[in-house]
Amino acid sequence: MFSKYLVKVVSGVVAFVLVLLLWVLIISKPSDGQVARSPLLGQPAPSIVASTIDDQPFVLERRKGSWVVLNFFNSTCVPCINEHPLLVDFANREFENVNRAELYTVVNDDSDIAVREFFSKNGGSWTKLKDDNGAIAVAFGVARVPETWIIDPNGLVRLRVTGELSKGLLEAQLDKLREEFTS
Amino acid sequence: MKTKKLIWIAMLLLTGVLLAIGVTRSGSPLTQQDRIDSLTSHLACPTCSGESVFVSRAPAAQAIRTEVARQVGAGLRSDDEIISYIEQRFGGQVLLVPRATGLDSLVWSLPVAALIIAISLLVGAFARWSRNKPGAPSAQDEKLVEQALAQVSDDQSKG
Repeated sequence: MFSKYLVKVVSGVVAFVLVLLLWVLIISKPSDGQVARSPLLGQPAPSIVASTIDDQPFVLERRKGSWVVLNFFNSTCVPCINEHPLLVDFANREFENVNRAELYTVVNDDSDIAVREFFSKNGGSWTKLKDDNGAIAVAFGVARVPETWIIDPNGLVRLRVTGELSKGLLEAQLDKLREEFTS
Repeated sequence: MKTKKLIWIAMLLLTGVLLAIGVTRSGSPLTQQDRIDSLTSHLACPTCSGESVFVSRAPAAQAIRTEVARQVGAGLRSDDEIISYIEQRFGGQVLLVPRATGLDSLVWSLPVAALIIAISLLVGAFARWSRNKPGAPSAQDEKLVEQALAQVSDDQSKG
């Protein structure tokens, strides 16, 4: 009698868990191009001391006072190529903004020559940072490109977008953050 | 019976001693390279499936290996701190050996709990079986057997 009851209870629990898993699978959205979580959100941005592909020094901490957008990039990655026109539009929009955000490309596992060729062909005059040993990518926990991060004028990490950007996403998120965190 | 008990006690003691040695012995690597290898073999490559950073040739794994080597070389962080640094950036899935705290601890505690429950159930079942063992035949049983045997011998003599 007891064992029959136990079988019913166990079967019920297993069925409930399976239904729950199915429901999670149905409602979950693909992660590409989505605002993603990171333990770094709300924390000071990792310290970055790097050089540009033109061999100019770059220190992230010195960018405090400006909104900073870091885009992790590789010239052979298809989503990076796809989202590039959106970044060009974003940079043009920001250029006209008084409180403009600074856009930087972080070159991930790519040669300077390939990056230069890509940008001369596809546009984009913003600064490109070398990340030869992947130290910047590891500091931000970037495993796959593209990824885009926003850092506020106080040097705090505010947004992480994994995967290919969708049209208007970066602009909308940055405007929202400006409203929220600009006093 | 007494010897059997002694053997069991000796086995339990031996198991306890071996477990204590396993838990307390120092397995720390000797050189910096050993330390790097040990740390990277405890980290999962974030872009591959089932490979450690130590064996993977993926760019993300190579970058983590380089960062671990840099931090070991700098000598400013302990092994736990380096692992935490990587975990804080890539998330808990980068750990090949889950931590024994928080929800991750279920990975360790659930199998132990399941084992204890299974052993308890088995012990209960064995005890129940031994209690239900058939006892000595009653006088009525013996009478029935005698009648049956008499019937058989009658049938044989008639046949």
